[in-house]
Amino acid sequence: MKLTRRLFGVVSGAALAMGTVPFAAQVAQAQESSTLVIAVPSDPAGLEPGINKAEPIGSEIILNVFDTLVAWQAPDFAELEGRLATEWSVSEDGMTFDFTLRDGVVFHDGTPFNAEAVKFSIERTVEMNPYVEASLGLIESIETPSETEVVFTLSRPYPAFLSILAQPQSAIVSPTAVGELGDDFATNPVGTGPFKFRAYQADTRVVLDANADYYRGAPKLERLIYTIIPEASTRRLELENGGVDIIQQAGQLSAVPSEEMAAFAENDDIQILESPSQIIRQLEFNNSLTDGPFTDVRVRRAIAMAIDYDGLLSGVFDGTAERVYGPLTSNSWAFDPEVMDLAPSYDPEAAKALLAEAGVDPSDLTVKLYSFQGSLWGAVATFVQANLADIGVNVEIAQTEFPSYRALHVAGEWEMALDGRQPWYNDPDAHVTIGYLSALKNSAMTFRMPENAELDAKILEAQGEADMEKRKTLYGEIQKEIVEQVPGAYLFSPKLIVFARSNVEGLVVNSAPPLNEYWSVSKN
Amino acid sequence: MFAFLVRRLLSLIPVLALVLVIVFSLVRLIPGDPAVTLLGPGATDTQIAALRAQLNLDEPALLQLWHYVAGLAQGDMGVSLKSGQPVLDEVLLRLPATLEISIAAVLVAILVGTPIGVLSATRANSGFDHGVRILSLTGVSMPAFLLALLLQLVFATWLGWLPVSGRMSSYLFVDNVTGFALIDAWLSGEPGAVSSVLLHMILPVTVLAAFLAATLGRFVRATMLETLGEDYVRTARAKGLSRREVIYGHALRTSLLPAITVVGLKFAEMLGGAILTETIFSWPGIGRFMFEAIRNRDYPVIQGATLVFALLFMLTSLLVDVLYAVLDPRVRRKMK
Amino acid sequence: MRELIHFLRRNTLAMVGSGILGALLLAVLIGPFLVQSPTAIDMSAKLLPPGPGHWLGTDSFGRDMLARLVHGGRYTLAIGILVVGIAFAIGVFFGVVAGFTGGWLDTLIMRIVDAMLSFPALVLAIALAAAFGPSLENAMIAVAITMAPQFARVARSQALAVSSRLYVDAAHALGLPRRRILLRYVLINAIGPLLVQASLNVGSAILQTASLGFLGLGAQPPMPEWGADVSANLAFARSSPWTALGPGFAILLAVLSFNLIGDSLADWFNPRRRSQS
Repeated sequence: MKLTRRLFGVVSGAALAMGTVPFAAQVAQAQESSTLVIAVPSDPAGLEPGINKAEPIGSEIILNVFDTLVAWQAPDFAELEGRLATEWSVSEDGMTFDFTLRDGVVFHDGTPFNAEAVKFSIERTVEMNPYVEASLGLIESIETPSETEVVFTLSRPYPAFLSILAQPQSAIVSPTAVGELGDDFATNPVGTGPFKFRAYQADTRVVLDANADYYRGAPKLERLIYTIIPEASTRRLELENGGVDIIQQAGQLSAVPSEEMAAFAENDDIQILESPSQIIRQLEFNNSLTDGPFTDVRVRRAIAMAIDYDGLLSGVFDGTAERVYGPLTSNSWAFDPEVMDLAPSYDPEAAKALLAEAGVDPSDLTVKLYSFQGSLWGAVATFVQANLADIGVNVEIAQTEFPSYRALHVAGEWEMALDGRQPWYNDPDAHVTIGYLSALKNSAMTFRMPENAELDAKILEAQGEADMEKRKTLYGEIQKEIVEQVPGAYLFSPKLIVFARSNVEGLVVNSAPPLNEYWSVSKN
Repeated sequence: MFAFLVRRLLSLIPVLALVLVIVFSLVRLIPGDPAVTLLGPGATDTQIAALRAQLNLDEPALLQLWHYVAGLAQGDMGVSLKSGQPVLDEVLLRLPATLEISIAAVLVAILVGTPIGVLSATRANSGFDHGVRILSLTGVSMPAFLLALLLQLVFATWLGWLPVSGRMSSYLFVDNVTGFALIDAWLSGEPGAVSSVLLHMILPVTVLAAFLAATLGRFVRATMLETLGEDYVRTARAKGLSRREVIYGHALRTSLLPAITVVGLKFAEMLGGAILTETIFSWPGIGRFMFEAIRNRDYPVIQGATLVFALLFMLTSLLVDVLYAVLDPRVRRKMK
Repeated sequence: MRELIHFLRRNTLAMVGSGILGALLLAVLIGPFLVQSPTAIDMSAKLLPPGPGHWLGTDSFGRDMLARLVHGGRYTLAIGILVVGIAFAIGVFFGVVAGFTGGWLDTLIMRIVDAMLSFPALVLAIALAAAFGPSLENAMIAVAITMAPQFARVARSQALAVSSRLYVDAAHALGLPRRRILLRYVLINAIGPLLVQASLNVGSAILQTASLGFLGLGAQPPMPEWGADVSANLAFARSSPWTALGPGFAILLAVLSFNLIGDSLADWFNPRRRSQS
């Protein structure tokens, strides 16, 4: 009996101790106020600008350790501002770009930044990274007339070039560090950015320390820690308990469920930052098929009219996604509002009539709908399946793991699929060329547009047009033409959502591509 | 002793050989051309051909097996498709994290499971005994992911007493010296680091230990009951030794030996549970590494991790045998 | 047989186990006729807490959790029995062949058995299921394969024991064909211990298949398999715990009921303990 009582005393005492001293409070206070912890779902694919393939986590870290010549200006991200370049000019023909560089900037290892470093970095990426073949690959020569001037000459006009220079692939690396570290540079990146790389522990964290000598002024934080937490539910628990400061929505395959949005909305400790994105998710048809019902535009339109877009946005996404009408999101500078009227809208009765007109009996129509795995895609597929069942079309969902899905998609062995694109640079080119240029259909997951000399030519012309007004007109025509053909049903565009503890200040969510800078962020 | 060790090691060789064959076959079980599956659709024909050559897929199966084993002998477990790093390095990097909670769980399980088994046996068929039996059977029947989720919800979310995930507070940063967070935290001298690591260990260790403690408790109870029924124990009682002396002096000592075997064998089974536990608690060990590899279809990693788990299993059963031989007087005598 | 029933009725744990199992059987046999469809989606009713209309709440698609549980239970019980059945068939075949023929074939089979038992069961099952590709069938096959060696061991030792007995020699001498001797004597005599092994394994078959489902290597959506449901609803565990805990506890109950019964059966077949109770 005595023993039992003593045991009880010990247990309740321990419980009391833990209850009164919350876990978070045991960590030194000073550290907490100057350290920002960001929870991310997976390890960065790499911290090396030279081989970056637009994977979001590594890209964001790169943009905080390195600088680019230019960057999109917060908070609208519609115009470029100078970073390592102070000013620049573009020649009439759109083929020569002349940059004046910032003076007196040094890399984290003490190497001075100059025109040679720019030339070295860009040439290095072109050599190492097949991903930029179609963009930086257009560079014919890089001249360095002086320490503070660099001139790029392209082989043909490419207006998105400046946008590409704002990308992590174009970050400027320390030539000395690359020379000394060789392959190890990938795990010990050295740039000029607001944060210096400190440590990477696989599956655990990436640690960045403030660069006190940063040319825009030292960052307000002393340390930035990316902590790797794969499970979305665990990330949320950590945020609620104050174990981390920020969780980012991984917009790709799984997303923060909207129910949790509602839960956080009532939590005073947590702020929700959201921003429209340029990501598009769609149901696409295999437009290169030569037989089958979907070769008839009326059937494609009927399918597109059977989908309850607003129901999807409110039911599945609870307002965390926006409507899309065509190949570009409505926040793109090249978006043409006319497509809003041209796009098929929800009307199941008209859809049935259209099917009848096309001579298709929906009960004969059984279609396999391919989709990515993951609960978000499962939800969308299930919603679409129910919509199509309403007009009598029988849909079988095939959620397929990514490698095989991509294989069969690129091989064209499908009729209807769920797909999406997150543009990796801020230009309409990133959606239109890759998605609809017929020549690319066997090399990427696209709409598999049939060969159409006129449309293909127009897409390439818009890609290279130096006059921005003309470019916009061209993209307007392209959008309308594509929407007329109903190559798919544009389902939704997820918003970029960042959940942060309410004491985090100064964070601006970057809309396209979603890579945030932490230089101006502070905690109080 | 030496002769025993040699014999025991020799007997491992054919088993090890077959284990290697099984692990080797895993990648060959993938339907279709493994090289195409492994590289995914973006691959060019040249890349596929290169991987086929690297995996020696064009050679006869026996020769492939030979290359695989020869590679292993030089520490070559292949290269992770995701990170491009050697699988062996990746596994070794994560092994300490797994060992850290596993060893702690074994200690906890022994400290909890043994007394429960003894008490249960000495009070056989009492209410206490039935309670313990149901509880321990529940422990054995409990899906690791359910227990982990439950503990996380109750102690981390609702009560807020314990951290949700990870090995130490995200705000702390200590250099990775040994890979064992507890030792690294102690070495760093960072204030609060050691206590942070200990707090983070409580929940995952509890999940792993629950299964082992339940198994051990059941086993100790059963063997104790058997020993208590043996003639010599009855004799001891008849000779006037007290019940307490009989239980702790004779019966418990006799029961503990087989219990070591159980702990040893179940240790490896517990490692299997680590895959689920580490995933839920974001514990950066080989269990979670294997889970991520499954998600990414990173077959060389799946293959490598499977082999490492098997080797750990064989190593623990070898240790158990040796320990048994050292401790058990009968076996010891036989060896001389 | 009557003796066995008598024993089980006097055994508290066995009664508890049978009670749970009986309730589960009733639920999965009758339940599906009483509840809504387990896959019908109703976004207006998503994540409702348990209450009238949805006694166990709804999941993120507004699907009734009770409906998913009782439909999923059919899979679970079928999984337990089928997996053990397959493992039993494979294991007993090789075990009996090894025990009866002896020689190099025996050595080879038992070495393979040793090697397979050198993997933590779940790890081998995961590796096999990953190689076969994710589906419920493949997960079941993977678990069955990892379980078969245990049956092989039991079957072999029983076959050895039985075949050394005189009556097999006698049958041999009478000129009966080997296959019939195997079938008639060895199997029939070894069936008791094998059944204990089987009943003890149903629980772990369910547990392991559910674990594979949890890891995404088993049942694929929208199949209401319990393990896959826990995993799919993990994201809602904080705000709507019933979605993940419901199927989780269902797995626990099913496994526990089989283990309680198996445990008592093992007691019954253990001659020493039988004399005690």
